[in-house]
Amino acid sequence: MSNAENYRSSHTGKSAGKADLVFLNGKIYTVNNSQPWVEAVAIKDGSFIAVGDNSLVQGHIDDHTHVVDLDGSFTMPGIYDMHTHPDLALAPGYAGYLDVGLDSPTPEDIKKSILNYAELNPGDGWIYGQYFVHFEFKRAGVEAGREWLDSIISNRPVAILDRSWGSMMANSKALELSGITEQTPDPGNGYISRDSITGEPTGILVDGGYAMIHAAMPPTPMHALKRAYREGIQYQSGRGVVGTKYMHVCEHRLNALKAIDDVGEMSLRVEAAISWQDDIFPVKRRWELIAGERHFYRSARLNANAVKFHFDGTHETQSSYFATPYEGRSDWRGSLNLTPEHIADMVADLDRKGIRVVAHCTGDAASDIFLDAVAEARRRNGDQGIRHQCAHSSVLLDENLPRFKALNVTAEFSPVAWYPYPFSRARAQANGEERSQRLFNFKGVLDAGGVAVMGTDWPVSNINPWVGFEAMVTRQNPWQEDEGQFYGQPIALEQAIKVMTINGAWCMGIDHKAGSIEVGKSADLIVLDRNLFEIPAKGNIHSTQVDLTLIEGQFVWDRHGRFNDTELAATWREELPEFCDKM
Amino acid sequence: MKIINKEVPVTIVSGFLGSGKTTLLNRILNGKHGLKIAVMVNDFGEINIDSQLIVSAEQNVMSLANGCICCTVESDLIEQLDVLLNLREGRPDYILIETSGVSDPGRVVHTLRYPRFREKLRIDSVICMLDAEQFSSLPAEVEQLAMRQLEVADIVVINKADLSSEEKINDIKANWLFPSARVYETSFAEIPFDLLIGVDEFSEKDGYQSVNHGKLFSSFKWETNKPLSLKKLRVCLSNLPSNVYRVKGIVSLDAVPDQYCTVHMVGTRISIEKLSGLKPSGDASRLIIIGFGFAEIDDIKEDLSECVVCI
Repeated sequence: MSNAENYRSSHTGKSAGKADLVFLNGKIYTVNNSQPWVEAVAIKDGSFIAVGDNSLVQGHIDDHTHVVDLDGSFTMPGIYDMHTHPDLALAPGYAGYLDVGLDSPTPEDIKKSILNYAELNPGDGWIYGQYFVHFEFKRAGVEAGREWLDSIISNRPVAILDRSWGSMMANSKALELSGITEQTPDPGNGYISRDSITGEPTGILVDGGYAMIHAAMPPTPMHALKRAYREGIQYQSGRGVVGTKYMHVCEHRLNALKAIDDVGEMSLRVEAAISWQDDIFPVKRRWELIAGERHFYRSARLNANAVKFHFDGTHETQSSYFATPYEGRSDWRGSLNLTPEHIADMVADLDRKGIRVVAHCTGDAASDIFLDAVAEARRRNGDQGIRHQCAHSSVLLDENLPRFKALNVTAEFSPVAWYPYPFSRARAQANGEERSQRLFNFKGVLDAGGVAVMGTDWPVSNINPWVGFEAMVTRQNPWQEDEGQFYGQPIALEQAIKVMTINGAWCMGIDHKAGSIEVGKSADLIVLDRNLFEIPAKGNIHSTQVDLTLIEGQFVWDRHGRFNDTELAATWREELPEFCDKM
Repeated sequence: MKIINKEVPVTIVSGFLGSGKTTLLNRILNGKHGLKIAVMVNDFGEINIDSQLIVSAEQNVMSLANGCICCTVESDLIEQLDVLLNLREGRPDYILIETSGVSDPGRVVHTLRYPRFREKLRIDSVICMLDAEQFSSLPAEVEQLAMRQLEVADIVVINKADLSSEEKINDIKANWLFPSARVYETSFAEIPFDLLIGVDEFSEKDGYQSVNHGKLFSSFKWETNKPLSLKKLRVCLSNLPSNVYRVKGIVSLDAVPDQYCTVHMVGTRISIEKLSGLKPSGDASRLIIIGFGFAEIDDIKEDLSECVVCI
């Protein structure tokens, strides 16, 4: 928004006077090979106008310039988190759904809670929430299901999840609104519990069976989505993130993001990727968004020019699509969620529309098919400059490493399991030795000239990007809980900094104007409480504190409140939301 | 009117470490029961099979001389079940799934009911084994899991009863079990084979008896040639005395005039399902009731007779 007010197109010229802001006496690592270390920068109209030693920058100071003494602090370009989900992590908790709030509620507790909720939330809207425990129903001799819920409330829809999330109990009204009758076929990955003789639904829906209830419910409320994104943005700014991608959005999520952008609180650049499948939430306006409605949301900080796909599943459920069978299995190598023909046609079609394809590929055969599809798109459309993104890239085929460069595809890695702890150890064991050697092959992609980036993939792993940052350099556990070294090759600190900065900008298509500290580029920088080059990486990088975050010459995070009550006061300061139990 | 089940029956055995599951599985794998039983375990490490019995062992499947198969459940139960159902040497007669001490047997029960297995597998019974001594002092962090094991159990086996006191066992019953729960107390995981595994031949035996640890395991038959009320039959079955462990048979129901229905009750779980194909004329119903130490055979028969629809 702020940019719309004073935007400088090519012939508007610069505003009057010298630099708006100058930083002096820093140890500034620029990520610019021709000038890696400098002392000072000068910023005007949101861009760097001088980068060099203190004496060079002195000439850009006049009476109206704000001068910040870095006092030897380590400073670098802002970082990029190229795959994360604040909405999925936080919004359900903020939606105001029913929460019985007891560890093992009895049917009587649940009944009271439902009636109480209905009184506080009058009307005919959904009563949805958690949770009930089958054990307690059996103990009480009460049959869980439609009839029991109907006896409490029958004139508005009620649906309650069980504690293990394996099933949902729904009343007759909820079943009716969801169109669940004795005629409804069971989904492949679950079932509708039915009376064995009449076939009538009992009101217990198992696993995939309750997706039908979710599809009929109103979307996650706007206030919950806004709060989730706002807190995510605040946290990310506080950790030095200046560019991020929110994977999986629908029209409601884009509206929530736009509302934050409109009030000037979008303190980092967000690329939002529209969901191709309805497997997380329904996207009712998918085709309108892809056709062009997405441009309605566009600003300097927000774009929705990407589409996110789930090509395969996860290693844990053996649904990643691998080139060779799973360990100990003769023929099972996972499966693709979409046909290769579907993938090829839609990659080419979206590429032609200028839309980035972000493909979830945890298996090496899934990414192989993705790269084939991009090659086909290039053949059909020529290189339109759209940098598609291979998400997770957990295991890659060695043959594919050079193709990332050749096809201008980003290899994105998420740090959920690239350092040793019980989860990653179990995952490596399930993968087998040969495949584990190829886990998270940052180095392979980089050595072949390709671009690798990191995405925290919160809530799958920690939203704090510094944890994965450290483990990229060490492949060791940051908290000394496991003294081993994990599979795969660590990369050098300089390489890791590139992965976190300029590579992220490349992956967002803005590397020509952001991602490093160079004259003419967007004035994005972060000031840290430690010099990454002067500390042992292990046990130290993950706990890095960001003192200041600057984006387009604007302070968005000020840890110590240094500029409170001045013109430079930051968007967010002093306190961050607490999302992670570990730092 | 022998019941022909084309589905492979499945028994699920849950319980914490030390509850006696492994002892039980080892006995089945090494036993002479004439059945080709596939036993799915988490880890071969806990299984102790006489090496002379092993015919072949490849990857995660071990074939034994007595016709049994033992395999490990990789992370995906669905795929492993598909493997068992498509074995080149034919399907097993019976599948027994051990769920690890830390996993939730409810998930397994749910998976077996997915549409893809509906024509192929049938849950015969869900057994929860518990160590009498251990269960009376469960750490708080496993209480929820204990609930998940018990809530899906058709029959609860209290093992190592000899090492515990009557008081503790009564405490377990009062604190953990359901009003109508079927409980079998034993030691050394000695469970009558007929209780664990519902083989069809058994339902043909009337007046069958066997003695297990001083308890008389027996069965009797009840027949009528009039249709039964579905509603009354459901109530009657759920009110049977708790020494009845299994009921199976074929019935004619008022709600389903054109087809026979099967009754399959194990412990506290009752399933009544339509049998495919039209029934010939007549309304014959026959049930076999199986349990321990019956003193009330006549009462049960009388209650069942109350279910006959008065025409």
